[in-house]
Amino acid sequence: MDWNCKNSEERLSEYLDGKLAPAEASAFAMHAAGCPNCAQLISQVGSLIGQMHQLEEIAEPPQLVQSILDATIGPRTQKAGWTKWFTWVPVLWQPRFAMGIITVAASLAIVLHTSGVTPGKIKRADLSPASLVRSANRQVHLTYARSAKFVNDLRVVYEIQSRLQPGPEPSPISTPMPQQQTQPPSTTPQQKSEKDPPRDRSQVQGGSMYAVLMPVNLSDGLTATLTRSFQ
Amino acid sequence: MEPDAQLVQECLRGEGSAWEELVRRHTRRVFNLCYRFTGNSTDAQDLSQEVFLRIYRTLPSYKPAFGAFPTWLTSVTRNLLVDHYRRTRHDRMTDSIDDAMPVLEEKHSSARTPDKLAEAAELSVQLQHGLARLSPELREAVILRDLQGLEYNEIQSVLDVPEGTVKSRINRGRIELARILGEMGLRPA
Repeated sequence: MDWNCKNSEERLSEYLDGKLAPAEASAFAMHAAGCPNCAQLISQVGSLIGQMHQLEEIAEPPQLVQSILDATIGPRTQKAGWTKWFTWVPVLWQPRFAMGIITVAASLAIVLHTSGVTPGKIKRADLSPASLVRSANRQVHLTYARSAKFVNDLRVVYEIQSRLQPGPEPSPISTPMPQQQTQPPSTTPQQKSEKDPPRDRSQVQGGSMYAVLMPVNLSDGLTATLTRSFQ
Repeated sequence: MEPDAQLVQECLRGEGSAWEELVRRHTRRVFNLCYRFTGNSTDAQDLSQEVFLRIYRTLPSYKPAFGAFPTWLTSVTRNLLVDHYRRTRHDRMTDSIDDAMPVLEEKHSSARTPDKLAEAAELSVQLQHGLARLSPELREAVILRDLQGLEYNEIQSVLDVPEGTVKSRINRGRIELARILGEMGLRPA
């Protein structure tokens, strides 16, 4: 195939881009091998193409994307990273929902507190049904025992007051008292030592006063009381 | 990564996030085409915004059967560049390039020595000077082929000219550019 410098110049890009047919590419190469001008042209243009292909793109100005978005879909705040997961918060945090949210939170706190749940100390084993039942039962016992103790303490105060203020003998307590016995907390031993023993046990229903005043081992007494009352 | 065609369908369903993804994906390429052709960063930004605004408004008319979304995007960009060129030909100077040329994106900067980075930056500036001295037809052909990486048939679709014309413009553009850069003293490595 005949190939001249004019052919080389006209088909140079196709040759450099690999678009020439094999026969034409071969003819081109053979001509360039014997023609310094064409060889130099191939070298210069080929090198320039290579450099342009390796050139990185120019970075767009930082605000360009945002300005395009503002011009098309309109301005909006952009959530970045983890904050986009909390876009629902402003929707719920409105005055009309505030009362309900606070009420629910307070109810939850009360339930957790009375059930004795301590978030920081919960372990996976605590979530087993047996553990939950045991914990609930224990809390019920303790709550009831504390209530009973409170009432009994009131009786103690009443008795003391009645003794300090001379007057008619206090009438026997007629209201039925719970049979279970409760042991007061650590301050009680001091109270017990200050109190006079009851003059008449019949004044005390169920012996609850007696249990309060007797210096007993707290843990044993508590255990015995709780066990007896709910058998 | 979702294909462009799928993002277009989501845009047409009103999903703003899909449009945002399209914009982020193609802004740099559009900006580069505009900047390399105009040589002016401000004009390139304005034109880029105009391109996406036109795309956004005419998105329902895009059909994947007509071609790939990037090709359609490039066609719209090129048409706006031609319009801009015609509007501003009387205001234009031959070698009007920003003194503060935008910096190259140094994606692989960690793999390049400072000398190589400086060499690339110098080439970019010189290239811009050389492109400015080409005629618009040769300039756009070289930009589309060697800077945008389009194939011959894609350039034919963008320019809406015969294949022979595409080859001829690319060839003449490259040879002319090499000659100009040679005269400027930039010797190919």
